[in-house]
Amino acid sequence: MSAAGQWRRIERRLPALLLLAFVLVFFAFLLAPIAFVVLVSFADSEIVAFPVTAYSLRWYHRLLEYRPLLDSLWFSLKLAGASAVLAALFGVPAALALARSRSGLADLVSTFLLAPLSIPMILLGIALLYKLSAIGLGISFTSLLIAHTVVSIPYVVRTVVAVYRGIGRNYEEAAAILGASRRQIFTYVTLPLIGSGIFSGMLFAVLISLDNLSLSLFFGSAQTNTLPVVMLSYLQNQFDPAIAAIGTVQMAIALVALLLIERTVGLRFMSSPS
Amino acid sequence: MTAAAGTTSGRRSPLGAGLWPVLPAVIFLLLFFLLPLAENGLQSLYVTGSDGKAAFSLAYYVHLFSDAYYLGVIGKTIWVSLLATVICILIGYPVAYFMVRHAGRWNGAMIFLLVAPLLTSIIMRTFGWNVILARNGVLNNVLQGLGLIERPLRLLQDPSAVIIGLVHVLVPFMVISIAAVLKGIDTRLEEAAELLGASRWRTFREITLPLSLDGIATGAIVVFMLANGSFLTMLLLGGGSVVTLPLLIYQQFLLVQNLGFAAAMGNVLLVLAVISLFIQLRLIRQDGAVA
Repeated sequence: MSAAGQWRRIERRLPALLLLAFVLVFFAFLLAPIAFVVLVSFADSEIVAFPVTAYSLRWYHRLLEYRPLLDSLWFSLKLAGASAVLAALFGVPAALALARSRSGLADLVSTFLLAPLSIPMILLGIALLYKLSAIGLGISFTSLLIAHTVVSIPYVVRTVVAVYRGIGRNYEEAAAILGASRRQIFTYVTLPLIGSGIFSGMLFAVLISLDNLSLSLFFGSAQTNTLPVVMLSYLQNQFDPAIAAIGTVQMAIALVALLLIERTVGLRFMSSPS
Repeated sequence: MTAAAGTTSGRRSPLGAGLWPVLPAVIFLLLFFLLPLAENGLQSLYVTGSDGKAAFSLAYYVHLFSDAYYLGVIGKTIWVSLLATVICILIGYPVAYFMVRHAGRWNGAMIFLLVAPLLTSIIMRTFGWNVILARNGVLNNVLQGLGLIERPLRLLQDPSAVIIGLVHVLVPFMVISIAAVLKGIDTRLEEAAELLGASRWRTFREITLPLSLDGIATGAIVVFMLANGSFLTMLLLGGGSVVTLPLLIYQQFLLVQNLGFAAAMGNVLLVLAVISLFIQLRLIRQDGAVA
């Protein structure tokens, strides 16, 4: 009986152990390309080669010399910040109204506001280039700002709706019962409660904008080149660790942002499709 | 802004009163999202003739659907996306299952590790695969070091590199979708099945798997749509061995500057996306009906 029990215990644990091994391999697969890029960025060699024998910061110095990469990073950060602010101005009021409404119209509206996420970005890029050229905006910061705001709105709406729904009505109702006006309720109760949601929605929008190649591609010029566009053209002309260095810098920015989101609202809501 | 707080009083009319704060966002997206897409659709139906005048014509679409090359590209777009989706399901399901049932306090760390790569530059991740798969790259070095191969393998500029790159970029979406549904499954159902004498495998096959099909479906649609729209992986890892619609659009735009034809290809891509979106909406409706 005990031998059978032991066999049963092993049999019960074996799948879990195999699963654990599989998961470890999976994360190695997921993180390996990123880890190797970081490693290469510190390599002291002219070409991308393995194994890395000597380490240095020369490719980070190269970033300082070859201006287009850092300039475009700065341009991208400005663009991402501006589009996140615009997306919040459009998205937050909409999200607040949608989160508390259960009418069929609200469903339709929220589907529409989230729709830019489901359209191939490269098509949206072409379509917007047509449209914005037709109304005289053409290739400009304003055009890029409009394009990036279109795809940032869904992130703000989704995050704020999720956070506002999670809070429930109790606080606002309590304030109303205590005699607060609508304006007071909004300023002193609602806004502080959803502040973290707005913040992380905007941060997501910033991160998505920073990595957006498919839209920016169509609006590239010497004055309006975003980081991914410059990275791509650099990569097509030369294959050296400078790309690894700028990629690492961008990743460091993203990681800090992600940690901020984790600290404020947590990443858990990410795992529930809205 | 005050009306947003006003909706908290709980009096909502079924006609959607109190929804006016959505207007700025809706108008903005009508102007800069829906309208451009609609105009783009029209644009692809007008072909500029030799006299310089644009006339209504289905020429671009006839060209797309009669030329064997373009039919092949459309077929390849769907095929590559499907293949990546299936591989993502096979890899993602066990990971999602582990995350929900076994990870315990490591769950948060796993979500972090899943989401973090999504926020690094896609160019950087693709560059990473270049570093690993290149002739003098990591993988060839390791394999040679182990004495498994004598000469470096040609791993880049190959369809398999494209699939690896796509799966790497998209599999987190699959894991997250499946995990969200798995989390909602009542584990008492599984316990009941095991108490009634079902083996673990049978419990999984007849209880857990059917109940989590929704998550697989959601993840599959997301992955399929994203794969459909991506061209960077094909461009940087495929080296011309895998030509899909988005890559062709990119080339049409950059090299040929034939925007009308690019728009037509974009619309074919849009049809694929709308079909996926429609399926997704139907699935969500079904969920709503159950809940």
